[in-house]
Amino acid sequence: MGTLHDHPFLWFVIATLLPLASFTYLLLVGGVRNFARARRNHPAADAVYQGLGGDQPGRRAAYVGMAAIFLAFVCSAMGYVTYFVEHHRVEHESERIAEENEKLDHDLKSLRRKGRHFKGAEAKENSAKIAEIRKQIKENQQTVHESEERLEHRWSGSLLWARVWSSSAADPGSGNTLRIGARIDHLSGLMFVMVTFVATLIHLFSSGYMSDELDKQVEDHQVHGEDGGHFRRRGRFGRFFLFLSLFCFSMLNLLLADNLFQIFVSWELVGICSFLLIGFYYERTSATNAANKAFITNRVGDAGFIIGLLIVWTYLGTFNFEEMFSRLRAPVDMHHGHVHAHGGHHKQAVTDLTHRFVKADATKDIEGGKEMTMKAANEAGQYVVIMPRPMGGDHEDEGHQHYNAGELVDAKDRPKVGEHGYMPYWMLVVAGLGIFLGCVGKSAQFPLQVWLPDAMEGPTPVSALIHAATMVAAGVYLVGRCYPLFAPETLLTIAYTGGITLFVAATIAIVATDIKKVLAYSTVSQLGYMMLGLGVGGWAAGLFHLVTHAFFKALLFLGSGSVIYGCHHEQDMRKMGGLFPKMKITAISMLMGVFAIAGIPLFSGWYSKDAVLANAFGFIREHPQHVLLFVLPLITAGITTFYMFRMWFMTFAGRPKDHHVYDHAHETPWMMTTPLVLLAILSVGVAWGNPPWDASNSFMETQILHHAQPESVEVDFHDEHHAAHAGHDFAGGLALVMVVIGFSFAASTYWFGFLDPNESKEMFSGVHRFLSHKWYFDEAYSALFVRPAMAAAGWARWFDTNVVDGLVNGVGKSGLAVSRVHGFFDRVIVDGLVNVVAKVWYAIGSWLRVFQTGYIRSYVLFLGMAAAGIWLLLWVLTMAPAAQP
Amino acid sequence: MIGLEHYLFLGALLFVCGVVCMATKRNAIGVLIGVELVLNGANVNLVAFARYNPAFEIEGMIFSLLVIVLAAAEAAVALAIVLNFYNNHSTVDVDSAEELRG
Amino acid sequence: MSPFTNLEPFLFWTIACITGGCAIACVVTHNIVRSATWLLFALAGTSGIFFLLGADLVGAIQLLVYVGGTMILVVFGVMLTAQGPFISMRTSSGEWAVSVAAGLLLLSVLSVAISKIGKPTPPSGSTVAQYAPKTTLAEGMTKEGETNEVASKSPYSMAIGQGFLGVGVGPAHKETVNGKETVVRASYLLPFEIVSVHLLVALIGAAYLARAKRRKEAAV
Repeated sequence: MGTLHDHPFLWFVIATLLPLASFTYLLLVGGVRNFARARRNHPAADAVYQGLGGDQPGRRAAYVGMAAIFLAFVCSAMGYVTYFVEHHRVEHESERIAEENEKLDHDLKSLRRKGRHFKGAEAKENSAKIAEIRKQIKENQQTVHESEERLEHRWSGSLLWARVWSSSAADPGSGNTLRIGARIDHLSGLMFVMVTFVATLIHLFSSGYMSDELDKQVEDHQVHGEDGGHFRRRGRFGRFFLFLSLFCFSMLNLLLADNLFQIFVSWELVGICSFLLIGFYYERTSATNAANKAFITNRVGDAGFIIGLLIVWTYLGTFNFEEMFSRLRAPVDMHHGHVHAHGGHHKQAVTDLTHRFVKADATKDIEGGKEMTMKAANEAGQYVVIMPRPMGGDHEDEGHQHYNAGELVDAKDRPKVGEHGYMPYWMLVVAGLGIFLGCVGKSAQFPLQVWLPDAMEGPTPVSALIHAATMVAAGVYLVGRCYPLFAPETLLTIAYTGGITLFVAATIAIVATDIKKVLAYSTVSQLGYMMLGLGVGGWAAGLFHLVTHAFFKALLFLGSGSVIYGCHHEQDMRKMGGLFPKMKITAISMLMGVFAIAGIPLFSGWYSKDAVLANAFGFIREHPQHVLLFVLPLITAGITTFYMFRMWFMTFAGRPKDHHVYDHAHETPWMMTTPLVLLAILSVGVAWGNPPWDASNSFMETQILHHAQPESVEVDFHDEHHAAHAGHDFAGGLALVMVVIGFSFAASTYWFGFLDPNESKEMFSGVHRFLSHKWYFDEAYSALFVRPAMAAAGWARWFDTNVVDGLVNGVGKSGLAVSRVHGFFDRVIVDGLVNVVAKVWYAIGSWLRVFQTGYIRSYVLFLGMAAAGIWLLLWVLTMAPAAQP
Repeated sequence: MIGLEHYLFLGALLFVCGVVCMATKRNAIGVLIGVELVLNGANVNLVAFARYNPAFEIEGMIFSLLVIVLAAAEAAVALAIVLNFYNNHSTVDVDSAEELRG
Repeated sequence: MSPFTNLEPFLFWTIACITGGCAIACVVTHNIVRSATWLLFALAGTSGIFFLLGADLVGAIQLLVYVGGTMILVVFGVMLTAQGPFISMRTSSGEWAVSVAAGLLLLSVLSVAISKIGKPTPPSGSTVAQYAPKTTLAEGMTKEGETNEVASKSPYSMAIGQGFLGVGVGPAHKETVNGKETVVRASYLLPFEIVSVHLLVALIGAAYLARAKRRKEAAV
């Protein structure tokens, strides 16, 4: 216990290892069981087999898995509470000292002013006083530094794993090491609690949902045998929990990691677990296809991730987050009398590069490197200066460098300890984009969002786990973790990716009829919000949305699982309806989730979505040319409300549409409703602050996530944050208007029946087809990648059989071919050109014809829309100069 | 405290109601009603400006009077057109008039 | 402070809610007779707004011409063209959705535009009294330079009537007449005449159009 007391981060290590233990145990037991089963005719083996439950899978696996993850939750909750208290104490202390130092600084200045008039003894006394105060300030700074270091020491640790090249005597620090390590801060601690909590509930829910798998023989209704009957197999209850445990371990390890490499390993583990779980019903072709799709799509992203890793390793020589960031960001200038405190940055000019990338241009070549001039933060530079590695030990007077624009620095090609290095700026951008591409794959962002909806083939609890707590969260988490690594160009890409994703996915969700598909697209869309929030500088906002989303999305998925289970595996919403009286607990708890995701005030989603929107608003106030980054999420807020309420109304309200489904529907057992109720409570209140109706004062955002925010965020996005704070109410108000509009459309269509959805569908049949084909992404990828690959393969075969074999024959036929080509040219090219011109004009004409409806009313409509459009255009255009200070 | 923007917003609301009315009503009289709403929205704006802008004090009112009179004339003519339309199509459904379709 | 010491907010919100609500109801209802009735209330509410803005004459004329005359015309139209007692021609949901969305877009754009203007305070009392020419001072009005009590209390009908008769009552501007700079005020005789002629033309046109059928029958 002494070790745990000194290094409380070990609580989190234990929490991580518990699911691994459960996984190992289940794997061993399962292995022994299968081994014994194969040798059943031997009495000893048979005894072992029967002792492990025989043909009947036991519930034991669920108990083991649940116990492990629940204990992990207890450990991480304890650890996090400890961390929270400790961190706040240290922070409080350092704030107090910072205040004291400011006061001392003030005294110092006044003494100096006075000192000019003093002479003789008085001057001596004065300078003694000044020296005293200086010493005091220095001591205070030292105290803060020490207590912060003690905190760091208590909450992180690592083991040496591998030394990549040996250190030489001449350059003792040159060895690059890979370490396995753990580091806890507010972000990872909070994520630990959230993940373990949600995972515990999902385990509990699964033990009810997967109870079909407890039978000796399971009949899979979706797989048909050769004799026309359904496929029969043994239950796989244990295997499910085996995979779940591994999944949880991988995710927790990802959160624990203090370096990119460990994250990459967990990242791949998460990927393989999702592959196993999506393909859990692997007899179904659709399930295996979906699993393959998820895995392959993720590989595309991981290719980018690996590129990012390689660049980082090549230029920075480390994967540790703290070290990476300290190499890339200019350190705080202690000798300059800079007081280390929160919110103390706002008076700096842009020339002060503290916490920023040091961009520089080469001025001349020196031996083994280049001499560079540093650029101001808002100027472009060819290179980024890499900070020197620390010398180790107490080097108080190491060669000191001021990081201010215009100053010179010597950057070496192969920097030794204590020397500056450099990397091309575009390399930094590429590294960031590569890492982000990995996140794009994991978090199902545009253009790699195609796998997530297909992943619905897995059992519903898995969908909940993937969508809420683990896999997709990993991408957003990594963006948050690597944030100081991202150049502004990378962040802009992130923001636009998020913006496009959230809009595309939300529009597809409008037309989805499978209850799980609606939720899948809403997940993609909400992840887009998080990415957008992160991209526009709302670090805390994006991650805040991640946490709140985890709760309400887990709730919604488990609720949909409850509905599906209660309706005997019916997923089509068009066959549901009127289920409210039959499944009251599910319906009400799901309604809480719908309220939360729609952003109804006082529900958790409201706080986080408002925070994201406010940050987007702040961003466009400073950069009006990116107005789309605010408009898209704003519109999507309305769309989100519409499709979520559509889902709820179609399922629970109105009249039953299919009496077979309705008559057999029933409320689910307590194992499934308990998690729903717990999650519903959290979906409402998890983001409350004091007072709850202040959207910008959520406890989780202001008291937790803001403290985990890297200093570079506040420096890079100071103006944006300021504008975001000012525009919080405005952005929130606009979002609320959109929510009301979305709700009224959903209610009037699916509740009151005032509007008829089928009529609208016919009227916009083109749009509907476009959306229900998911913007033709699958088709496009098939045409762009799959079919060319197939074609290339076919072509190679053709080449073999025809060209290689037929080269001789071909010579004779070539004359014929030439004349054919000539005829083809005449017919297709010459005639075709004329025809194409005619066709183009014909197509334009018939397209324009659509608008000439002849109906007076539609002309009025066009007029109104044109007027509004011109106004909007003018507004956007005139906003640009107005926003410039 | 009630300011100019409140009146302008009321005018905008009436105007938009009128536009939506024109765009959704299939009855020719309904379209006429929409036009009246639009004109009223404009009138509210004119009078509100007359109240809040001294340089516009008389003109705002005179304009609004002219608008009222013109609206009356317009209603008379539109009604005559509607009657004629009814005689020709034996309905007042404006969707049956699609001779302008391209 | 009692909410009734300044009645304007209370009256404004009451009348505005009635007017806006009636306008929305007028759009939403499918029955043309009900629609016309809601329009009647909306127009009456607008006249209330005019009274609230101090434009008594406009409000009165709104009541007389609009609520009295135009509404009668509309109701006549409904009666003359009615095919059944409660005709409703339904619009498809999709069109409704698009129209309402376009309308909301328009409204939001207008609201943004409105929010961009400043907050002018209304001038206390009327400035029309100063415009009123000295020669036409009615009985009870005071001489030049003194406050024109009667005119500032109920000035508009008189000023507007004078304006229509060609007396300068509008905003003043300087003009050079015969090489001498004099203050000239706008008068509204020409618009008045134009409107008169326009009304005449419109009425003749309306009569002609409405007669068309009988002529056609006569021809057949």
